[in-house]
Amino acid sequence: MGAAAGRADYADARLVRTRHERVGLRDGAIEALERGEDEGVGVRVRVGGAWGFAACGEPTRAGAERALARALEVARSQRPAGGAELAPEPPARGERSGPCEEDPFAVSLEDKLELLAAADAALRAQPGLAVARSELSALSTDVEFASTEGALFHRRLTECGAGLVATAVNEEGAQVRSWPASHGGSVAQAGFEHVRRLDLSAAAPRVAEEAVALLSAPPCPAGLQTLLLADEQLGLQLHESVGHAVELDRVLGREASYAGTSFVSAHDIGSLRYGSELMNVTADGTSPGGLGTLPWDDEGVEGQAVPIVREGLLRGFLSSRETAAEIGLERSGGCMRADGFARQPLVRMTNVNLEPGGAGTLEDLIADTDSGVLLDTNRSWSIDSHRLQFQFGAEAAWEIRDGRLGRLLRNPTYAGVTPRFWGSLDAVCSASEWRLASVVNCGKGEPGQVARVSHGSAPARFRGVEMGVA
Amino acid sequence: MSAAELAERALEAAPAGGDALAHAEAERSLMLRFARSRPTQSTAVSDASVEVAVVREGHVGRASTNAADDEALAACGARAAAAADAAARAGGPGPFPGFGPSPAPRSHEGHDRETARLDPATGAAALEVAFAAAADRGVEAHGVWTAGEVDRAVATSAGRTVSERVADAFMKVVCIGPTGRSGYASAAAVAVADIAPAALAGRAAALAAVEDEPAELPPGEYPVVLEAAAVGELLELLGRCAFNGRLHAEGQGALVGRLGTRVAAPAINLSDSPRFPSTLPRGFDAEGVAKAPLPLIEDGVAHAVVHDMASGALAGERSTGHASAPGGESFGPVPSNLVLVGGGAADVAELAAPVERGIYVTRLWYGNVVRADEALVTAVTRDGTFLIEDGEIVRPAADMRLTDDALSVLAGVQALAARAELVSDGELYGRRFARGSVCPAIRSGAVRFSGRVG
Repeated sequence: MGAAAGRADYADARLVRTRHERVGLRDGAIEALERGEDEGVGVRVRVGGAWGFAACGEPTRAGAERALARALEVARSQRPAGGAELAPEPPARGERSGPCEEDPFAVSLEDKLELLAAADAALRAQPGLAVARSELSALSTDVEFASTEGALFHRRLTECGAGLVATAVNEEGAQVRSWPASHGGSVAQAGFEHVRRLDLSAAAPRVAEEAVALLSAPPCPAGLQTLLLADEQLGLQLHESVGHAVELDRVLGREASYAGTSFVSAHDIGSLRYGSELMNVTADGTSPGGLGTLPWDDEGVEGQAVPIVREGLLRGFLSSRETAAEIGLERSGGCMRADGFARQPLVRMTNVNLEPGGAGTLEDLIADTDSGVLLDTNRSWSIDSHRLQFQFGAEAAWEIRDGRLGRLLRNPTYAGVTPRFWGSLDAVCSASEWRLASVVNCGKGEPGQVARVSHGSAPARFRGVEMGVA
Repeated sequence: MSAAELAERALEAAPAGGDALAHAEAERSLMLRFARSRPTQSTAVSDASVEVAVVREGHVGRASTNAADDEALAACGARAAAAADAAARAGGPGPFPGFGPSPAPRSHEGHDRETARLDPATGAAALEVAFAAAADRGVEAHGVWTAGEVDRAVATSAGRTVSERVADAFMKVVCIGPTGRSGYASAAAVAVADIAPAALAGRAAALAAVEDEPAELPPGEYPVVLEAAAVGELLELLGRCAFNGRLHAEGQGALVGRLGTRVAAPAINLSDSPRFPSTLPRGFDAEGVAKAPLPLIEDGVAHAVVHDMASGALAGERSTGHASAPGGESFGPVPSNLVLVGGGAADVAELAAPVERGIYVTRLWYGNVVRADEALVTAVTRDGTFLIEDGEIVRPAADMRLTDDALSVLAGVQALAARAELVSDGELYGRRFARGSVCPAIRSGAVRFSGRVG
C-alpha cells in the first residue's frame, strides 16, 4: 500500500485466491466434474469521493502496481463525487480461518462420486422419475487485505454443500422436488463434514416419491389463506423482502439503475413498522456456519451482529464504511463483500436471520393451525425494485386442516407486499427449530457479482396471504 | 499472449491421450457507474483464463485456471484428466459424444478498435452528458457506461483452433424525478461510437419528468404495447424455458410436443442469428462449434430448440453451437443471439392507436420462470409504465406485475414495429460475455397482470 499512499484519499488491495469444485450426477452419468483455481489482485482507490477499482489476474507486485495505476487513472478521469468520509474503523490485523473439519479438496473424487452415486441410485429406484440429479460443491477463498490505513489481514473461508433434485414428468407437465433446498442444496461455511451429515441417500427415496406424487396432486387453491413457511422458502422471503430492502447503498439510491432502490428511507430507523411485534431480525456476521459470516469484511471491518428489526420496528441497516458515515452511523455493519479479486466490494448481506419465537416445534405450529398450507422449497421468485411487491412459487405444499397435515398440493404460489406480509406474522417457532438455509445465487452490482449468504429462521406463520397467483 | 496461444499451450500441457479441448478467454473491460448524477464506482478488469475439458469414455472432466505459466497449465490439464478418469472408473460409459469436428466459424464484424481502447475519458464524457440531460429536466441520472474486449479461442486435440476477438459497449440511463417517477433508456453495440449518451439520457429524463398522478389499474388482462426492452426480457425468459434443448429433451420444456405447431401469431418470426445486423456477433460456442442462423419460430410455428453437444446427444440431434461451457452447463443451452423480425408499425404511437384501454410498458424487470413447461413467467414493469386510452398514451400508470404464458403473449401479438433494435440488460456476471436480443416493440391483445406493485 506504500505505492498508493499520497495518491488517493484511501486505498486498499486484496490478493484473492479461490479454489472451487463441483461434482454432479444426472441419471447415473457424470453431469459435471469441474475444478477451478484463480488468483489475482484487486486495488480500490477513493479519489474525490468516487471509487476507482482495477483488477489484474497477475498476483505479483508488478500486477498490483498496474492495477493501482489503472484504478487511479479511471477514478481521476471523472469529476469529484464529494462523498462522505469513511466511518472510522481500527485497522484489522491478523489471520483467521473459518470452520473446516475435513478439507473438501483432500477428499478423493472417488469418494465424492460414490456418495453421489448412492444418492442417485436411491432417487432412481422410484418408478416414474424422469430425471435424477445430485451434486456437491466446495469453495475455498483466501484473502490477503491491506489498506492505506494500516490494515493487514489474511482470511481463509471454506464452504461446502450438496443437494438432490428429482423431476417427474407426465403429459400434464413437470414437477420437481429438491432437498435439502433448491438452487444448489444446503451449503454452509464448513468442510466436507457438512456434506456427510446431510446423508443424501437417506433422504432420496422420499424426495423422489414426492416428485412423482406431485404429478397427480391437486393444485394449491387460490385465495387468502394462512401460510406456514420454513427453511429455504422463509430464508428467501427474508432475503428478498428484508435483506435487500435494508442495504444502505440501495436505500441511498446508489443501486437504482440495476438492483433498484428501497421502500425504506434512511430516517426510518425507530419509526418504520416493518412487521408484527413477533418480527425480530438480525444481520449477523458471526452466525456459526453461515455463508455471510466473516471475521473481517472486504474493507476490513470486523464481523458483527446488527439489529435490523426489533418487535416489528426498523432498527438498523446493512452498511459499509461510506454509507454508514453518510447517515451518521458510528460504525459500518461489516457488510462489504466482493465476488473474487476482479470485483470491488459492495454492501451485501451478512446472515439476515429471523430470531426464534415461542411457538414450539413445527408440529406444534401445525397443530395450532385450523386451516392453511405449509410450503416447502423455493421454485421461483421475483420482487419489484423497491422491495415491496413480491411473488414466490414453491415446489410443494401441504394442506393443513384442523391442526393436521393433509393432502400434498402442486404449484403453490403466493404474493404480498412487504410490510403487510410481515405484519401478518403471528407465530414463530422456538429456538430448537431454528436453522440456517443457504442462498448461493444472489446477484447484485455492475459488473455482476454473485454472493453467497445464509438465513436463519424457525418455521413461521402468516395470516391472510394471497395464494394461487400464478 | 493471445487466447489462441493460451488455449493451445493449455492443451499441449494436458496429459496425452483421448479427446480434449481448451477454451481460453481474455477480458479487458471498463465500467463506470453513476447514481444521483454523480460518478460512484468504476471497475477495470484485465484477466485471462482457460478451461480444459478432457473426455474419457463419455465423461467430461473440466478444470480451469487464470495462471498462464507452464506449471499451472500442466496442473490444470492434470486436474481435468484426473476428473475424467475418476468419472470413467466410477460411472461406466457416459453419454458425452466427444468434441467432434465442426465447420469453421464464419467471420464477422464483432470487433471495434476504438471500443477496445477502453478510454475512461470517453466514458467520463458520456456520464457528463447524462448528468446534463437529467439536470435539464430536473431529474437525477443513474446508470452505467461500459466497454470491453474479449479475445476467445477454442483448441481441440484434433488439431483445430478457432478464435475471435469481440468488443461491446453498453450504456444505461435510469432517471428518477422528484416524485419518484423514473424513466429508462439503454443501448448496446459493438462500437462505442454507436452509443448516443445524449439521446439515451434525454429519453430517460423525459419519461421521468412526467408529473401526472399515475393511474392505479386493478389486476387483470390488458392489451399492451411493449417497448423493445420489455420484449427482449420476455424473449430471454422464453429462451430459458422453451428453447433450452436439455429441458426439451427431458420433457420439461415449453415446446415439448409443440414443435411443428403454431405457438405464436403468424407475424412472429424468431431466430437465433449470430451475425444479424446490429447484434453482438459470435462465431462459435464454448465447444468450438460454429454458430449459424437457426429459425426457432417461423410464421408463428415452432421449429427448433438449441443444443450443446450434451443435450444434442440426449435428443439424438447435433449441437447448434450453444454451449456455454465445454461439456455443457447443468441448466442446459440457451439462445445467445435472438432476433425477432419487425413488422409494419411506424412507431409506438401507431402500435397504441387501436387500443381502447391498455398499458404501455417500457421495461420489464426481475423476470423469472415460474413453471418452464407452461412457459409461465413473471416480471414487474419498471421505469416508464403508462396508461393507453382511446389509442393514445395518456398518462403514467403505477407499475404492475405481469404473470403470463410467454408463448401466449406472442400468440396474441397483433402488430410489431418496423424497427428492431439490439436490447441488452447489460448483465455481465463472471467472464464478460455481452449478449442481447434484436427485437421491435409489439402490441399484444391480452396480457395478464397478476398484481399492482406497491
